[in-house]
Amino acid sequence: MKKIVLTTVLLAGVLAQAGGFRVSLQGVKQLAMAHTSAHTEDASVTFFNPAGMSFIPAKLSVAAGGFGAQSSVTYQNLSTLESFDTNNPLGTPIYAAIAYKILDNVSVGFNFSTPFGSTVEWSSDWSGREIVQRLELKAFYFQPMVSFKLSPWASVGGSFIYAKGSVDWTKTATQLGGSLNIKDEKASGTGFGLGFYLKPTEKLDVSIAYRSPVDMKADAGVASFNVSPSLYPLVGLDANGQDKFKAVLPLVDEYTVGVTYKITPKWLVSGDFNYTGWSQYNKLTLDFENAAVGNQPNDPTVLVSPKNFHNTQTWRVGTQYQINDMFAARAGYYYDESPYADENFQAETPSFDSNVITAGLGINLMKGFGVDIAGGIALPKSREAKNSFTSFYGQAKAKAYYFGLGLSYNAF
Amino acid sequence: MKKILISTVAVSALLFTVSCNTDFDTDVSNVVVTNGEANFTKFVSVGNSLTSGFRDGALYSDGQLQSFPAIMAQQMKLAGGGEFKQPMMPNNIGGFSSLFVASGQTEFYGKLTLKVVAGALSPTPSAPAGDIDFIGGAGKMFNNMGVPGAKSYHLGVAGYGNPAGISLGLANPYFARFATSVSAKVIDDAVNQAPTFFSLWIGNNDVLSYATSGGAGVDRTGNLNPATYGSNDITDPNVVAGAISGYVNALTANGAKGVIANIPNVTSIPFFTRVPNKPIPGAPATVTALNNAYAAYNAGILQAKDLGAITQAEYNARLIKFTVGVANGAVILDKDLTNLGPNVPPLRMSTSKDYILLTASSQLNPTVGGGTSVPLADKYVLTEKETARVLTATAAYNAKIKTIADGKDLAFVDANAKMMELSGASGIQFDGVKYTAAFVTGGTFSLDGVHLTGRGYALIANEFLKQINLKYKSTLPMVNVNNYQGVTFP
Repeated sequence: MKKIVLTTVLLAGVLAQAGGFRVSLQGVKQLAMAHTSAHTEDASVTFFNPAGMSFIPAKLSVAAGGFGAQSSVTYQNLSTLESFDTNNPLGTPIYAAIAYKILDNVSVGFNFSTPFGSTVEWSSDWSGREIVQRLELKAFYFQPMVSFKLSPWASVGGSFIYAKGSVDWTKTATQLGGSLNIKDEKASGTGFGLGFYLKPTEKLDVSIAYRSPVDMKADAGVASFNVSPSLYPLVGLDANGQDKFKAVLPLVDEYTVGVTYKITPKWLVSGDFNYTGWSQYNKLTLDFENAAVGNQPNDPTVLVSPKNFHNTQTWRVGTQYQINDMFAARAGYYYDESPYADENFQAETPSFDSNVITAGLGINLMKGFGVDIAGGIALPKSREAKNSFTSFYGQAKAKAYYFGLGLSYNAF
Repeated sequence: MKKILISTVAVSALLFTVSCNTDFDTDVSNVVVTNGEANFTKFVSVGNSLTSGFRDGALYSDGQLQSFPAIMAQQMKLAGGGEFKQPMMPNNIGGFSSLFVASGQTEFYGKLTLKVVAGALSPTPSAPAGDIDFIGGAGKMFNNMGVPGAKSYHLGVAGYGNPAGISLGLANPYFARFATSVSAKVIDDAVNQAPTFFSLWIGNNDVLSYATSGGAGVDRTGNLNPATYGSNDITDPNVVAGAISGYVNALTANGAKGVIANIPNVTSIPFFTRVPNKPIPGAPATVTALNNAYAAYNAGILQAKDLGAITQAEYNARLIKFTVGVANGAVILDKDLTNLGPNVPPLRMSTSKDYILLTASSQLNPTVGGGTSVPLADKYVLTEKETARVLTATAAYNAKIKTIADGKDLAFVDANAKMMELSGASGIQFDGVKYTAAFVTGGTFSLDGVHLTGRGYALIANEFLKQINLKYKSTLPMVNVNNYQGVTFP
């Protein structure tokens, strides 16, 4: 038995990048079960649904965890026979959450998470270097929240989202004989979360949640050109070869409906449906202060790149079996959709339709204190890149692995 | 329990394998490049400066290494192509010292580089790196037979590579460097290598030298004897066609296959488009002074019109009047205007149908008075009428080149169409880099405004490769244009 569980963990070991630059790594228990949401075992539920706090079986619950996400993308061009791989560094999203019942029917909580982000780094000679050489996107969500238990079987909750983020994007500027770095570490935005959590019977959990979009505003970005100083006046740069820019990056909204059903007292299955509002990301506008590196006929300092993302669905199924008092085994599968068509392939945020399998183990070390491990492996489908806006054509494939370690403590 | 776990895993495994297609259908590392119906064992490229890799006003080693035939040969190697030997210049600057001096320091200078002059980027010639080196002789064969400055009929002239003929203007120093003998013909030196595949791109200079000299020559259409032509004349289209047809016959005599390209319109290249055709700003003070200064001239043409010496239309065209607040045409000398004697020179203001040449840039400096108080000389302007002659001749050449290509069933490159695409508003994009025909910033034209950069030649090489693949069913890969040299900034 143990052997089988371990093998499952090892084989399935991994994965979870969702479409675009959304990161589905917010709870280690949840990841092990395909990142499904209808679980109220500890405070990690706060990311998925603030209303879930009301059903945590403790007065105080603390959860924290971290992940490693390793992905690589291969691009090839059948016309030039070129092939390149990314050198992406290991991504390390983390989360921390706390929930406390101040009254029998009122819980407050706080969740810190990294729901969006990606780092893509290509070899310096790769053919899409004019589009991206390296792009690092990060977003941190700080969510204070409250949940009210309306009845023994229903709760409602809401959160405020303060988001802080950064962008660091380097690409070549071939026509200027150099490169361009776009950086803003002070981008921020706000949003909210809302949810209902229902336990109509002993056996059934239902989680309904909505997380609003957050417009990350970069108001004081710096564009640094690594080009010959003789070009500074021509391009419109200051004496350091720099210019300022403004941009807004939408972190999109998500609707989630999750269900967990206890088939036996020890065995449960979960299912989730996510609907993600990627269509809000239809273009990216970089508004430079002086640099004439844009593409708008009436304003050469504005660069508009069409993105044309579309809304996506994710379907998730997961299961948990309580082997004994100490061990729980978990596994899951989900299908994740890329938010864009081949004609809108984005080399800076490569994205694929993916099958993902996950697995994990929960270990109850002592009363209330648990350690969880989880892993996932993504099997993204290879696809065509046919982006006529950037004249970028070819094929791309990817692979990704994920693993996570989480701690949780339920007191009182 | 075990069963349940196993089935869970099995179900998940099934779910993803059913719809999984994670790998490429074809991996580029396994692609075999094929030669199709062509044989690339011995590739010889015949042509002019565009074939040699000439750029930035000079022939120098970096340019040669990124000549379009050298780029093509590197791809042909993947399908059985042999070594591609070029008559390499001995340095990376170019120019020939003795010829530079003999020309009054106007020709055979070293490559142009961008320098900051009075706060603006400006192409500046360098001194020649050395004198002419002779690397040819009996049995010395070169796959790149591009000879800068050659017109179509020159390739068939015996002695075109005779060093003794250079100073007399009878021979070409670039061919003299690598000719097999003093009496050699370019085409013979090419054919004698028994190429299995050739490229032929010739005829540009038959009209280009007329255009770059601002129409200093004569349109020789109708005159079939090139021996009577001057160096800036427009070659008769039948002469061009006859020459090219003869070369193609010689090159294909042993069954070789090949590719032939047509001639781009000069109006697509920055040498003619860089300087606006209405380059004089209308500042209030200067406008009044200039209009006063040209009052006598305007009175002169009015008199000529009243006497019937010129038509009302010519009078309107010749009237010189600067306007405040708008871009004005430059005052130019136009030898196609009616000769009214020494007191009333053939002047008019340039219109949107004239092309002011890149070489006029320095003349348009207000302190020199070029285009305002001093009329721009004939050599600085390709006028509307001259342009029409150039375009008519180019169209005639291109019609004949296409006929020859079709007649011999050769691969055909519409270089004119490619250049027009490049000079259009959208330009040509490659892997995210936008290329246009804009001077310096467009990335494809070198600093002489006529020849291409490494990236420009790579774009052309891809076009050649594409047409070869189409015609001969080969699978030569394209090159990554962005990997080649563009304009270097100081």
